[in-house]
Amino acid sequence: MRIKLTVNARDVSVEAPPTETLLTTLRERLQLTGTKEACVEGECGACTVLVNGLPVDSCIYATAAADGLSITTVEGLGGPDGSLSPLQQSFVDHFAIQCGFCTPGLLVTLSALLKANPNPDRGEIESAIAGNLCRCTGYTQIVEAVEAMNQETVS
Amino acid sequence: MTTEVGRSSIRSDGVTKTTGKAIFGTDVILPGMLHARLLRSTVPAGRIVALDLSRVAEFPGVHGVLTAADIPNQRSGLVLMDAPLFASEFVRFEGEPIAAVVAETRTIANQALALASLEIEEIPSVGSIEEAIAPNAPLVHPDWESFATPPGLDWPRSGNIVAETCSDPDGVDEAFAGATIVVEDQFEAGRQYQAYMEPRMAVAEFDGQRFTIHVAHQFPYNVRDRVAAAIGVHPSEIRVVGHHIGGGFGAKLDTGLEPYAALLARRFGRPVRLANDRSEDLLTCQCRDNAVIKIRTAIGQNGELLARDVDVLMDSGASATDIPFLASIPMHVFGSLYRIGPVRIRTRAVYTNTAPTGAFRGVNGTHLYFALERHMDHIANRLDIDRLEYRRSNLQPDGSKLPTGQVLDDAGILSEAFDAVEQLASWTELGQGPNRGVGIAACMWLTNPMPGSATLKLNSDGSLGVLTAATENGSGAIATGVRQIAAEEFGLPADKVVVTMPDTDAAAFDAGSQGSRTTHIVGRAVREAAIEVRAQILDTAANMLEAAPEDLELANEMVSVSGSPSKQVSLAEVAATAQASSGPISGTGSYTTPMPPINPTCASGLLFPGFPTPTYHVHVAEVEIDPTTGIVRVLRYLVAQEVGKAINPQAVRGQIQGGVAQGLGYALWETLQIDAGRYSQRTLEAYGLPLATDIPEVEIVLLEHPDPAGPYGAKGVAEPPIIPVAAAIGNAVEHAIGKSVDTIPITAERVLEALSGS
Repeated sequence: MRIKLTVNARDVSVEAPPTETLLTTLRERLQLTGTKEACVEGECGACTVLVNGLPVDSCIYATAAADGLSITTVEGLGGPDGSLSPLQQSFVDHFAIQCGFCTPGLLVTLSALLKANPNPDRGEIESAIAGNLCRCTGYTQIVEAVEAMNQETVS
Repeated sequence: MTTEVGRSSIRSDGVTKTTGKAIFGTDVILPGMLHARLLRSTVPAGRIVALDLSRVAEFPGVHGVLTAADIPNQRSGLVLMDAPLFASEFVRFEGEPIAAVVAETRTIANQALALASLEIEEIPSVGSIEEAIAPNAPLVHPDWESFATPPGLDWPRSGNIVAETCSDPDGVDEAFAGATIVVEDQFEAGRQYQAYMEPRMAVAEFDGQRFTIHVAHQFPYNVRDRVAAAIGVHPSEIRVVGHHIGGGFGAKLDTGLEPYAALLARRFGRPVRLANDRSEDLLTCQCRDNAVIKIRTAIGQNGELLARDVDVLMDSGASATDIPFLASIPMHVFGSLYRIGPVRIRTRAVYTNTAPTGAFRGVNGTHLYFALERHMDHIANRLDIDRLEYRRSNLQPDGSKLPTGQVLDDAGILSEAFDAVEQLASWTELGQGPNRGVGIAACMWLTNPMPGSATLKLNSDGSLGVLTAATENGSGAIATGVRQIAAEEFGLPADKVVVTMPDTDAAAFDAGSQGSRTTHIVGRAVREAAIEVRAQILDTAANMLEAAPEDLELANEMVSVSGSPSKQVSLAEVAATAQASSGPISGTGSYTTPMPPINPTCASGLLFPGFPTPTYHVHVAEVEIDPTTGIVRVLRYLVAQEVGKAINPQAVRGQIQGGVAQGLGYALWETLQIDAGRYSQRTLEAYGLPLATDIPEVEIVLLEHPDPAGPYGAKGVAEPPIIPVAAAIGNAVEHAIGKSVDTIPITAERVLEALSGS
């Protein structure tokens, strides 16, 4: 079936079977490989993208269900000139990254959190990312990267 | 003057990993690439009665299939040649590959594979360690005697015992006979899945002469050598190219899917991608081995440790992998930390009809130190002495000897680690109040000594290139540590240093990201290379400045004449001048740690030949138990870690926080439940990894005793943080509830069971 999407502010049209997941469409048809496949059961959050601004696990989300909707992937978080978003920059500055495989999903999840709640406290940050598994960092430096943005916003 | 070493420089891969542009192994797409899937055994032990793949092969879009019948019947392995690529007559674990299919897309490959006609007659399986050593147990490998070992290397093995290591020094029985008390324990540990976020994968291509294999692997040179042995080609016919690694933790040190991808690429003439889905990754991963540890210690009238007797059983699964070497790790653990008389150790690794086990961060140390340090608590409790005080009064001083004969010149550092955790929080004030407890545990651990190299080139713009086959597994060892060391050598900012991704055609051998070795070994290799490069820089600059090389100083990207700072040239000018005159500036260095002397006859069996560059650590956990649910909550977690020199303090902190998090998962929640040889869990959700809401912020003190051989003093950092965690948690839980939970993980169910016991 023909499905129209807006991906990272660009209109695209794909021909895909109705069972195809958004993750497969993004990675294999649109070659947007920043979104990661790690569990394909909606458990780990590595494949998180925004659909009309809300985070979803693209591995269990049918592309057909996104027809006419707006998708944001990790590739769409920065500026059009390639500059990093403040959240991305804070991840780099505060050692929130190790292997980096969970990083795209975390950034997408947290960008949605920050839009809804620009100054989250530690508990709110931890709860927001409780659906994003990270095996490397033990999470603290990720949480600190978000907290540091609060302080920078306040100061 | 240092500018980069000791500074928390940001990662070189930070930007690409936040924009989604970093290419991981799973992101590699080659023109004309086909997709393969494996047909796997559905049972732990059985005889293949019928296998018909004709409908698979005829499925539209399928290029072909491959089975044991298509390749030489060749077994291979890390130390014992006991693992076939494809099962032929018998299957020996659930998930063992039986056939491969290659197709235009992964979807087609999956659809075709569903048409395979496979009939397996189940045979009696060996599902546990106990079953493996039971009298008249079925043999996992009835043909075990035929398995080849590397030339000149063999060890005691028999039937289901794949390796045995024994050390029986004089005086043990006499000490027990004269003991005032004997304390005896038995501990068990479950099987832990590395659960890296990127499932294992490989992409292979064959150009008619040579293979190129694209990997996200901790040890590319091992891929080259293991694939060559498995498919019967010369190592030089294989090039391994490394991409970003989505976590490994030891599970990406041995080969996995690479030999299949290589065979398929050669057979079908197109690049082939083979990647695990999560369930098959979990089913076939070389997990941390489950184990049973019996430990007895003879205690004298003043509480002194007279002698010890240890019996370890470890589950190797259906093949040996590196387990025969790891069977000697108890030799390095059970006589460490505390003054003790002779220690008898017997370790047996057994075959079972489960997936082969292998390396996981802090191999064996996690459950061996659990046994040692839980046992120390039990001894102190029996003697009615405070657990910390008992440890402190028995600490090994500098110059203590391990059962291997290795002398620990700096063992006294451990005493400082005990002091350091006390600075973070007072032992006597922690774990107070109802349902609360505090636990302490220490460990000594090695820095892996295996060889590495680096080639440096000074580019004509004054930037520096570092060519190495070492891998950045996420730790930051390459993205920060090695890069900062290289920058430091030439007074450069770290962002003017580019370290290559691994390529076995380009860079000399490197033993991979394992055993906390990369910063230590490759950092030292960089310093060796820098000697040569520095000499070339100074020779060229001396000509340019009309000065003697020994009168020159190199700092802040400039070479200047001592005492005449106005006489100076930039590194870029020096590099460009050299390139146009004597030739481009470059140099190579290599390093491997000399092994400490040991007594080679201290044990029978394969011996992991020493614990070089040892480091010393103390962890403290404060927990609270919910007596209704049995749930353990970690209130505070303290770490004092010896690092030699923290090249990048924030990266070191990330290793400690992340290692403790994995250790907490191991201690409290994670285990693959094995029921008659089959894992009960198939998914990450069922397995249950720690979440952001589960892990406290670890409070850390770094101790720095620079290693004269390490780059700027750096020792290994990444493994120790996971090692004492289960022990510290176990000790805290027992302190809180007054009952001992002797099995890892210390789940809520086990806590409730202990609470309801007598």
